Amino acid sequence: MAKMKFLCDSERCIECNGCVTACKNANETEWGIQRRRVVTIDDGEPNETSISVACMHCTDAPCMAVCPTDCFYQTDDGIVLHDKDLCIGCGYCLFACPFGAPQFPKQGAFGERGKMDKCTFCAGGPEEDPAKQKAKYGANRIAEGKLPLCAEMCSTKALLAGDAQTVSDIFRERVVYRGHKDGAWSSLDSEKAVPGEMSQQQMAALADELAVDAGNIIAKA
Amino acid sequence: MKLTKKTSSGESVVAEKGSKGLGLSRRAFLKNTGITTGGIAAAGFMGNGMIRKAEAKTSYSNAPKEVKRTICSHCSVGCGVYAEVQNGVWTHQEPAFDHPINRGAHCAKGAALREHGHGERRLKYPMKLVNGKWQKLSWDQAINEIGDQTQQIRQESGPDSVYFLGSAKHSNEQAYLFRKFAALWGTNNVDHQARICHSTTVAGVANTWGYGAMTNSFNDMHFAKSVILIGSNPAEAHPVSMQHILIAKEQNKAKLIVVDPRFTRTAAKANEYVRIRPGTDVAYVWGLLWHIFENGWEDEQFINQRVYGMDEVREEVKRWNPAEVENVTGVGEEQMRKVAKMLATNRPGSIVWCMGGTQHTTGNNNTRAYCILMLALGNMGTSGGGANIFRGHDNVQGATDLGVLSHTLPGYYGLSDGAWKHWCGVWGLDFDWVNARFDQNKYNGKAPRNNSGIPVSRWVDGVLENKSKIEQKDNIRAMFYWGHAVNSQTRGPEMKTAMEKMDLMVIVDPYPTHAAVMHDRKDGVYLLPACTQFETYGSVTNSSRSMQWRDKVVDPLFESKTDHEIMYLFAKKWGIADQLFKNIKVEGNIPYIEDITREFNRGMWTIGYTGQSPERLKQHQQNWHTFDFDTLKAEGGPADGDYYGMPWPCWGDAEMGHPGTPILYDTSKPVAEGGLNFRARFGVERDGVNLLAEGSAPVGSEIGDGHPEFSSKLLKQLGWWKDLTPEEQKAAEGKNWKTDLSGGIQRVAIKHGCAPFGNAKARAVVWTFPDKVPLHREPLYTNRRDLLKDYATWKDSESMYRLPTLYESIQKKDVSKEYPIILTSGRLVEYEGGGEETRSNPWLAELQQEMFAEINPYDANNLNVRDGADIWLEGAEGGRIKVKAMVTRRVDRGVVFIPFHFGGKFQGKDLTSKYPQGSAPYVVGEAANTATTYGYDPVTQMQETKVTLCKVTPA
Amino acid sequence: ADQATEKVQGNFAGADYWRSVSDGTEGYTTSQGAEHGQLINVDGERWRHWRNKWISPGGLIAIGGSLGLLVLVYLTLGCMKLDKPRTGRLVLRWGLFDRAMHWFVAITFLTLAFSGLNILYGKHFIPEYFGYDIWKNLIALSKFLHNYIGPVFSVGLLVMIVRWFGHNFFNMTDLKWFIQGGGLIGNKHPSAGFLNGGEKGWFWALTILGLVVVGSGLVLDFPLFGQTRNDMQTANLIHGGVSLLLVAVSLGHIYIGTIGSEGALEGMKTGYVDETWAKQHHDLWYEEVKDQIKEPAGEEKSATEKGNTGRA
Ligand SMILES: Nc1nc2c(c(=O)[nH]1)N[C@H]1C(S)=C(S)[C@@H](COP(=O)(O)OP(=O)(O)OC[C@H]3O[C@@H](n4cnc5c(=O)[nH]c(N)nc54)[C@H](O)[C@@H]3O)O[C@H]1N2
Ligand SMILES: Nc1nc2c(c(=O)[nH]1)N[C@H]1C(S)=C(S)[C@@H](COP(=O)(O)OP(=O)(O)OC[C@H]3O[C@@H](n4cnc5c(=O)[nH]c(N)nc54)[C@H](O)[C@@H]3O)O[C@H]1N2
Ligand code: HEM
Ligand code: HEM
Ligand code: SF4
Ligand code: SF4
Ligand code: SF4
Ligand code: SF4
Ligand code: SF4
Ligand SMILES: [Mo]
Repeated sequence: MAKMKFLCDSERCIECNGCVTACKNANETEWGIQRRRVVTIDDGEPNETSISVACMHCTDAPCMAVCPTDCFYQTDDGIVLHDKDLCIGCGYCLFACPFGAPQFPKQGAFGERGKMDKCTFCAGGPEEDPAKQKAKYGANRIAEGKLPLCAEMCSTKALLAGDAQTVSDIFRERVVYRGHKDGAWSSLDSEKAVPGEMSQQQMAALADELAVDAGNIIAKA
Repeated sequence: MKLTKKTSSGESVVAEKGSKGLGLSRRAFLKNTGITTGGIAAAGFMGNGMIRKAEAKTSYSNAPKEVKRTICSHCSVGCGVYAEVQNGVWTHQEPAFDHPINRGAHCAKGAALREHGHGERRLKYPMKLVNGKWQKLSWDQAINEIGDQTQQIRQESGPDSVYFLGSAKHSNEQAYLFRKFAALWGTNNVDHQARICHSTTVAGVANTWGYGAMTNSFNDMHFAKSVILIGSNPAEAHPVSMQHILIAKEQNKAKLIVVDPRFTRTAAKANEYVRIRPGTDVAYVWGLLWHIFENGWEDEQFINQRVYGMDEVREEVKRWNPAEVENVTGVGEEQMRKVAKMLATNRPGSIVWCMGGTQHTTGNNNTRAYCILMLALGNMGTSGGGANIFRGHDNVQGATDLGVLSHTLPGYYGLSDGAWKHWCGVWGLDFDWVNARFDQNKYNGKAPRNNSGIPVSRWVDGVLENKSKIEQKDNIRAMFYWGHAVNSQTRGPEMKTAMEKMDLMVIVDPYPTHAAVMHDRKDGVYLLPACTQFETYGSVTNSSRSMQWRDKVVDPLFESKTDHEIMYLFAKKWGIADQLFKNIKVEGNIPYIEDITREFNRGMWTIGYTGQSPERLKQHQQNWHTFDFDTLKAEGGPADGDYYGMPWPCWGDAEMGHPGTPILYDTSKPVAEGGLNFRARFGVERDGVNLLAEGSAPVGSEIGDGHPEFSSKLLKQLGWWKDLTPEEQKAAEGKNWKTDLSGGIQRVAIKHGCAPFGNAKARAVVWTFPDKVPLHREPLYTNRRDLLKDYATWKDSESMYRLPTLYESIQKKDVSKEYPIILTSGRLVEYEGGGEETRSNPWLAELQQEMFAEINPYDANNLNVRDGADIWLEGAEGGRIKVKAMVTRRVDRGVVFIPFHFGGKFQGKDLTSKYPQGSAPYVVGEAANTATTYGYDPVTQMQETKVTLCKVTPA
Repeated sequence: ADQATEKVQGNFAGADYWRSVSDGTEGYTTSQGAEHGQLINVDGERWRHWRNKWISPGGLIAIGGSLGLLVLVYLTLGCMKLDKPRTGRLVLRWGLFDRAMHWFVAITFLTLAFSGLNILYGKHFIPEYFGYDIWKNLIALSKFLHNYIGPVFSVGLLVMIVRWFGHNFFNMTDLKWFIQGGGLIGNKHPSAGFLNGGEKGWFWALTILGLVVVGSGLVLDFPLFGQTRNDMQTANLIHGGVSLLLVAVSLGHIYIGTIGSEGALEGMKTGYVDETWAKQHHDLWYEEVKDQIKEPAGEEKSATEKGNTGRA
């Protein structure tokens, strides 16, 4: 079974926020809920690097492990979804999430944050009635055979989404073209990345590793 | 429902649907998202069923989907969009993977386009200001009242006292109609954004090699070996173009060089970033050429065959030795040489410039200097090379081409009586009748009909200037702001005064705009709700000259009307509807778009807007997938052989089937297949020197060398007259390629492999401009007073575009002690222009909620300003804005950058409550232009928005 | 060399980049979400580790251990009966206010304990045995009760501490009490004042652990004062760990108060204890108050009852 993954190629990401508003467009999340965001490290400085982040649909998902209500589940495609009927808005998933993916509509007193909302990989959520599903969880593009709108609309094709293998193939191809390994927001063994000092084969092998799983980052973090 | 765990045996509904929907087709979709680098990714990408529906119904409406094809309205890249409509509601926006320019990609604005279908903060019905309160009124009443008042003004002060400020947001058809509308009202006081955008480009470039437009295409940049971006920040302003630029960088190992006072998001992707002092582009380019000439890196052959006047440039460049360049621009010798070498050793190379180059008092000099750099390197007329001037609004190219400008009629025909007669011929109107609509007096010896009108940058002066000093009967007394936000023009405080002085303000816009609230008027302001481009259809020309057809997505929202309908209503009111719509069918009150397209097709010979009939345009629109992603050429399919959107010039009439010209001046292809050479526009010789090309002509040219433009006379001389049909001969007699309405002259010239407009050299010197060879001149407000003895500005002028214009007298005053910091302005990716539309889009507004000023940590510390603190920023003419400080090294010491998209606040005052109820944008902020200052390019009256002085104090 | 340098140009995100983001460096973002500038929340993993690997099982061990111990104690010792028969003469031990306060605190505490335990452990068995619908409501109720009762409990606890800390100072008698293991070591009952060493221990445990629980609980309950995710994580760990410990300890108290020791509960229920009980468990106190003993006839001594027990 395919495993769905995101990969953001920082060499390409220009912080245009296309992915961010595409997500709004697809899911119509309310003002203040940003399922996806773009973070720029060293903003305005020579090493400026941007990365688009949302839920990474971790293989061994920390959010899932800490949720008191156990409302998360992972589809066969590896997409991490949750049940808003069950969610009590405790915020634990946000504490645990390495990527700050879970969002809460409002932060009231008494720890009332409302139902958690996060990127669904545009796969909707556990609600059979399509209208209700759309209203509660946003689009279910996966069911229509489409991929996440954020990635589909990415202005520079920096953000890739889909089957981990295909995503990594595409990225590997870029790495080979570039002649150096560069950053991608996915699992990545930074120690091995010595640009210009690797053979094409080494790069290809490394690129393969890059595009696989956010779990590695988590493990390292 | 029961939850399904990853490990549980029961399938969740989602997973089930997912796995079904993700069968075969998913692989294709995967490729779509990733499609980028050819090879595996490209295989099987085109023509997939991207909107294939799965069995599961997931949309919240079961109503059948209609899929419309439209084009993003937020910038000139021209990204394609699939809009899905159910029951008249725009329910989904899907990426157009098969669109040849964007392949489904969008920046923040394009990805938020569907919000236009909600438009909650739109202006909902006509309104007028009565005693300081907004009052709703009917369209009839509005048209009547405005119509009467304007006619009253016309009677008292002449037609020139009413100003028609048009828009680059209009479709080609609307833009063309708008220009004609103003003409039939009897004025040249009509203009639009291009004036304050790329006017200096159009003037500089057209005067260098013939046409004022981007020469290649975004896609063609894949073939570049180097790309120098100077005063252009596509990562924010043309984000999808970065897809192409980064492809060049990755696949073609192109070197990216960014020359900008700010370390922009584009600079972050560059191989080389060069920080220059704002306003020193000419010096910088001459500095590069110094190294190029010094090392013999120029393309001798190209210069000899195709360039006139390079020697004069060499003379000027000699002054720009490394020391002087460093003194003026701040860039050291080593980096200058490095960049010069990069350009020289990585050819073909492409240059991209935008507002950092154009929006200067010296804009025309900058743009010509850039052209000369490309000419010297032999980068013109070749794939991967070119002057890729990324234009602004979605249809600023089209609106410019169609002459929504105070100095020309559509197609750059100018304002001579010849031009009027040409267009009267197309319109089927009597020249005398049209002439009679104008003020018949002469001012300063000039007849208003033939004299350039007041440009948008100067309308404030048109209102405030002493009547006797303006070359028209009276001041401007009424303004139509028809798709143009006023916070985009400089000198905010004076603008407020001007607004308060006028008799009448009419805002025709989907949104109320800053113009509705910035003044303290109590009455005499009308707001007319216009539709956006998603509520109508028509053609739009992108930056690379491709014309694209838009479907109508939804019906007009609320009580809004399309621009062409509103024009019709006014024309009817003024009694000129029959003339305005002589060849154009009007159904109800709605002019028929295709008829308008056909009408301009009949007249736009100069730039080849003649071959793009509505039928061909629609055919291209329906066959996006058949155009090649690198070359834009259709391979097979109904448009086989055409270039996407028939980039102009698309010579001859539609029947001739010219494919469009993907790369201007490219001699490697026959003219009939999109080849071209430089235009013969400036005569055939000057001071005994040949201006025509020498030994260079497009493949297949029967002349094989330079030649003048085609006319009936030339055809006869060449013995090609007999190739015309008898009817053509009749129409062409005494005409030339521009004025022959039969198109015969063009057809025959092309048949013989020649460009209708002649074959000449590009000129490195423009003897008709204030500076023949582009010179560096210090900005009017400069803190480098030491440079003034060598690089002072021009003398004041009595008359430019009907108005006195100041240079020297402003520069002479030294305000640099009080205002020590350079102020520059520009764009943020989330917002567009004055920002009223985009700040009213919650998906965008959420991302930028606060107007700010970028300031270097050094200055911030000296001024005791903390990151995120409020500051007062005061421009050198006293306009003050209260904004947040963003402390960042993105800007250099001594430079402050502000985005110009905010409005709805004025000098510290929040104006939100002054908007008609429910129509205030989600985000308001100080308008940058409240703090900007005087300064206009002498050729085009471009405003100076990129360099002035200011001071900053903690608030 | 030239080629090599060219290769390295451009902004690839190299090793430094990963090092910097994975130590939690903040970047710039247009997102308004809290802490959205941080790419990787390094502490989340630490938190999850501590919560799931230590606190959660630790709590089980503590509570389970405590329960086990009590069962053992009960099985070996059984209920600590009164040595002598009741005399029927009652001594006033807890005034109305004290009793009300005790039960107020006890009930809110238990509510918090059950809801807290449900939040921590419920998911491991409730949905499986009771089904989704029950679980859904139960967990929502738990969260609701826990969030709202927490502050209520906090107030009660504070009042209790202020009111009772006076007679909870340890003295030599308590030391001896402890040395004799509260009577488990040796055969005779150790001496005790109004409260014995064990009770005082419980009081102080409750005071100290309770305040920590309350403090950390309030941090979690009112995320309005700019608490970062990191602060919340820390508060949660402290809260979880300490509250579980407290629950474990409280079991001991509850055991003694109910089935562990005959007669104690009466005092908290009615306010009065039997003379025999008082003598047996709080001999020194008995000496002090024996003259106020109420005859079995049970005439009112309202002045004392309503007011203070006179010991504060
Ligand atoms: N998001 C967004 N996109 C847009 C628009 C928008 O409003 N928002 N508007 C559209 C329009 S109308 C236009 S015209 C284009 C404009 O697109 P751009 O011209 O690329 O955008 P700007 O930010 O105005 O200016 C570009 C750069 O010029 C630099 N600059 C300033 N002064 C100088 C100088 O003296 N010399 C040099 N070399 N550089 C200088 C600035 O630092 C800035 O980075 O964008 C179009 N696209
Ligand atoms: N300081 C500073 N000032 C600048 C610049 C700068 O860089 N710095 N850049 C300059 C440049 S390049 C430009 S192009 C201008 C841009 O500035 P403007 O052109 O003033 O900006 P927009 O907000 O895009 O204006 C377009 C208006 O048209 C309306 N509109 C949209 N669609 C339609 C339609 O179909 N019909 C009608 N009738 N109206 C419609 C929108 O609501 C909006 O109010 O700003 C200039 N001003
Ligand atoms: C069902 C559960 C409980 C029972 C049966 C119970 C019973 C008792 C009894 C009988 C006493 C009096 C002991 C004496 O008279 O010496 C007492 C005292 C006390 N109880 Fe409880 N109790 C219970 C729960 C709690 C809880 C949950 C708390 C705290 C959160 C608590 C806190 C106290 C305190 C502080 C004292 C006084 C001890 C001192 O001051 O040292 N009790 N309890
Ligand atoms: C004194 C008895 C208390 C006990 C036994 C207790 C126990 C617990 C437990 C076990 C958790 C779950 C921890 C986890 O899942 O990691 C928890 C969470 C929490 N507790 Fe308490 N707690 C007590 C008192 C309080 C008080 C006094 C407050 C507030 C004033 C409070 C506020 C919270 C909050 C806000 C949470 C987070 C859970 C959520 O918001 O859903 N607790 N508590
Ligand atoms: S990214 Fe965060 S929310 Fe998404 S699966 Fe991983 S831990 Fe859960
Ligand atoms: S907020 Fe909701 S989803 Fe997140 S851990 Fe709490 S209950 Fe689970
Ligand atoms: S996958 Fe869908 S839900 Fe997730 S960030 Fe992208 S658009 Fe938003
Ligand atoms: S759309 Fe693509 S390039 Fe733009 S911010 Fe998102 S990931 Fe980066
Ligand atoms: S604004 Fe420009 S780059 Fe962005 S989606 Fe629209 S057309 Fe494309
Ligand atoms: Mo523009």
